Amino acid sequence: MRAVKTIYQRPVVFTDEITTYCGGCGHGIINKIIAELIDEMELRDKGVICWPIGCSCLSDLYYKMDQIMCLHGRAPAVATGMKRANPKEFVLVYQGDGDMVSEGMAEIMHAAIRSEKFSIIFVNNAIYGMTGGQMAPTTLLGQHASTAPYGRRIDSSGYPVQMAELMATMPGVIYSERVAVNSPQRILQAKKAIKKAFQLQLEGKGLSFVEVLSMCPTGWSTAPVKALDWVDQKMIPIYPLGVKKDVSEGETVQNEEQELEVRSL
Amino acid sequence: MKLELLFSGIGGQGVMRLGEILCDAAIKAGYLVTFSPFYGQEKRGGRTMCNIVISDEMESPIISEAQVMLIFDERSLTEYEHLLDPAGTLILNSSMIEKEPTAPCAQIDKVPFYDLAQKIGNTKTANMIALGYVLKYLPAIDYGVVEEEVKKTFAAKAKLIPLNVEALHTGYTYRA
Amino acid sequence: MGERVFMQGNEAMAESAIRAGCKLFFGYPITPSSEVPEYYAKVMRERPEENIMFIQGETETSVFNMIAGAVAAGHRAMTATSGPGFSLGQEAMSYMSAASLPAVIVEVMRPGPADGEILAAQGDYFQATRGGGHGDYNNLVLAPYSVQELCELMQESFDLAEKYHNPVVLLSDAMLAKLRESVELPGYVENEPKPEEKWRTLTGADGRDPHIITTCGRGAIQWERFNLDLQEKFRKIAENEVRYETYNLEDADIVLVAFGCFSRVCISAMKMAREEGMKVGMIRPISLWPFPEEAFRGLDGKKFLVCELNAGQMVQDVKLSVDNKNDVTFYGRLGGQVPTPKEILGEIRKLR
Repeated sequence: MRAVKTIYQRPVVFTDEITTYCGGCGHGIINKIIAELIDEMELRDKGVICWPIGCSCLSDLYYKMDQIMCLHGRAPAVATGMKRANPKEFVLVYQGDGDMVSEGMAEIMHAAIRSEKFSIIFVNNAIYGMTGGQMAPTTLLGQHASTAPYGRRIDSSGYPVQMAELMATMPGVIYSERVAVNSPQRILQAKKAIKKAFQLQLEGKGLSFVEVLSMCPTGWSTAPVKALDWVDQKMIPIYPLGVKKDVSEGETVQNEEQELEVRSL
Repeated sequence: MKLELLFSGIGGQGVMRLGEILCDAAIKAGYLVTFSPFYGQEKRGGRTMCNIVISDEMESPIISEAQVMLIFDERSLTEYEHLLDPAGTLILNSSMIEKEPTAPCAQIDKVPFYDLAQKIGNTKTANMIALGYVLKYLPAIDYGVVEEEVKKTFAAKAKLIPLNVEALHTGYTYRA
Repeated sequence: MGERVFMQGNEAMAESAIRAGCKLFFGYPITPSSEVPEYYAKVMRERPEENIMFIQGETETSVFNMIAGAVAAGHRAMTATSGPGFSLGQEAMSYMSAASLPAVIVEVMRPGPADGEILAAQGDYFQATRGGGHGDYNNLVLAPYSVQELCELMQESFDLAEKYHNPVVLLSDAMLAKLRESVELPGYVENEPKPEEKWRTLTGADGRDPHIITTCGRGAIQWERFNLDLQEKFRKIAENEVRYETYNLEDADIVLVAFGCFSRVCISAMKMAREEGMKVGMIRPISLWPFPEEAFRGLDGKKFLVCELNAGQMVQDVKLSVDNKNDVTFYGRLGGQVPTPKEILGEIRKLR
């Protein structure tokens, strides 16, 4: 009898639900990467996923593990409470651009300032998907959106926000990388980055952050295949891929802490 | 029994501290005691006032009429003299107050707390002198118990104990 | 019970919470509640055996959501705030009630609206008792009148939150928060059942089915069912958790109604009125939601004087509870002004 070897299977942590994302959406790909890593790294039994408001707020249907849907922008605050309560728990925060960069900018910045020891996956598709294609802080200049029908303008809406770079400037962030999911190679790289972020959390180091450029053909009013090209042509020039910060090999953030004796000055 | 007291001065004069020491002593004497502080929004130099109620039963922590009112500065006098019990006692820090009270009051004692404090060598003890003086009107509170509380308050700075005990005694024995 | 001490309301309450096993405190400083986070911050460093985790959050919005995370993870957690901060927390209050998260919130009221003042007030009665955030929900609201009751209800708040899987608001105010009085501190709570026996915690689905907390509706049919379940929870609270005290009602012609620390001003006024020969009684609601309607039953013919440090909020609940709302008179003060017992006595005399 020949030995049978499984070379591919549906991730065990997934339920039987079929995702309801639009055709060509990147969320499904990113959800699957997470599911594969949860299986591979055996995180199901000690892990909690904190979901945002947005297209991914139905994602709790897809996983057989503990999950919580947080209010708009507040996932890093909820995760802070959770991780501080149970530091050994694996806590994953998943947020979109409207959720994180608009409503929840204070929460993400302060989670980074405090160097909270959880992992954040930030899905940037330069638009509000769920609510119907409105402008996000990450919408590109000139990009059309329902609340920017003639394209985003600097005079009224300012500039697109580069979160991966911004997070890299924060001392409390140990790892920040921007990846994309618009080609098989990029998906593999995205998985590698997310795996590293998870690993760093398990090692108890600082906040690990992965920004994922993702397609929203519906929100962009374009065909799924064209959306793949749009990521290359329009998004990556403004949101360049790559590692923005990696101090994971060095001292942990906490060890750099110095108690200033201000009182005695 | 129900005793309503009001002490007021400027932040830093130690009015709150003397109120708290008095409360500790009143509790030792077996009474229910409430201490309600009121501060101005200023961090320094604002008005500080407290209502103290010493009673047998649960009562309002806000006083109606002070049977004993201790006032350390003129603005406090203007602000609070309407809360005086007409049959009560008003104790004024005459080192800082020249104004005459207008509210009706059975007894007005003018005591130069800062001059007395200077005499014993430290103006910071003015509040302890005042505490000693107030005790003359509170027979329910034992002087010895208050003295013990003063010692406890300064336990961390033991060398200040004799000075503050002297201040307490100076106030207690002063005749206005 | 523990030892008798002379302690400030805020601090005694914080100590009671620690002894109730609330080791996680998420706070944002705001007068007149700041002594509570300060107390936790101090204990975290000075009594390491307590295992305290105190985080000063960036906003109350964040802080309330941190509590959601911590209680979801199976721990007791709380914050203390005042009106402006409580307003920021409202989205999370609505969320935690819907998500059945047992959070405990101390609201130390000060006069509003807007920035307002830092003195004593009761103007957040509506905000606390009507939910305060969006949607159909209720908080269990308790209003103690002494430092002793504050400490006891502080400890009980955690049990109630966990019993009903709903936020509990402990409604204090600047007067009670700063009040020092002699109090017998409650002891440490021991032998509590494990959190996972009391509510569905998120600790990793190890050896059990996953726990999923979501407040995201999935169509009108599902969302109405969800809401009806919530209403059932509120009905149970309303049935079981009514609390109040009455004083001298038997022969009273005039009944004072007041809550919180300010009710003590009315208690003293009641005694003064009785000394003058007036038959005055009092009802002191302790649970503001559920409101003690039953306390007003069978009191037809009496006059009610509702005294509040606001423009007339609880008086609406009183009018809904009495047989004839024309019997109800309101006396309120605003801006941080607290009337003396003598002033309340003057209002009682007007009804004679």
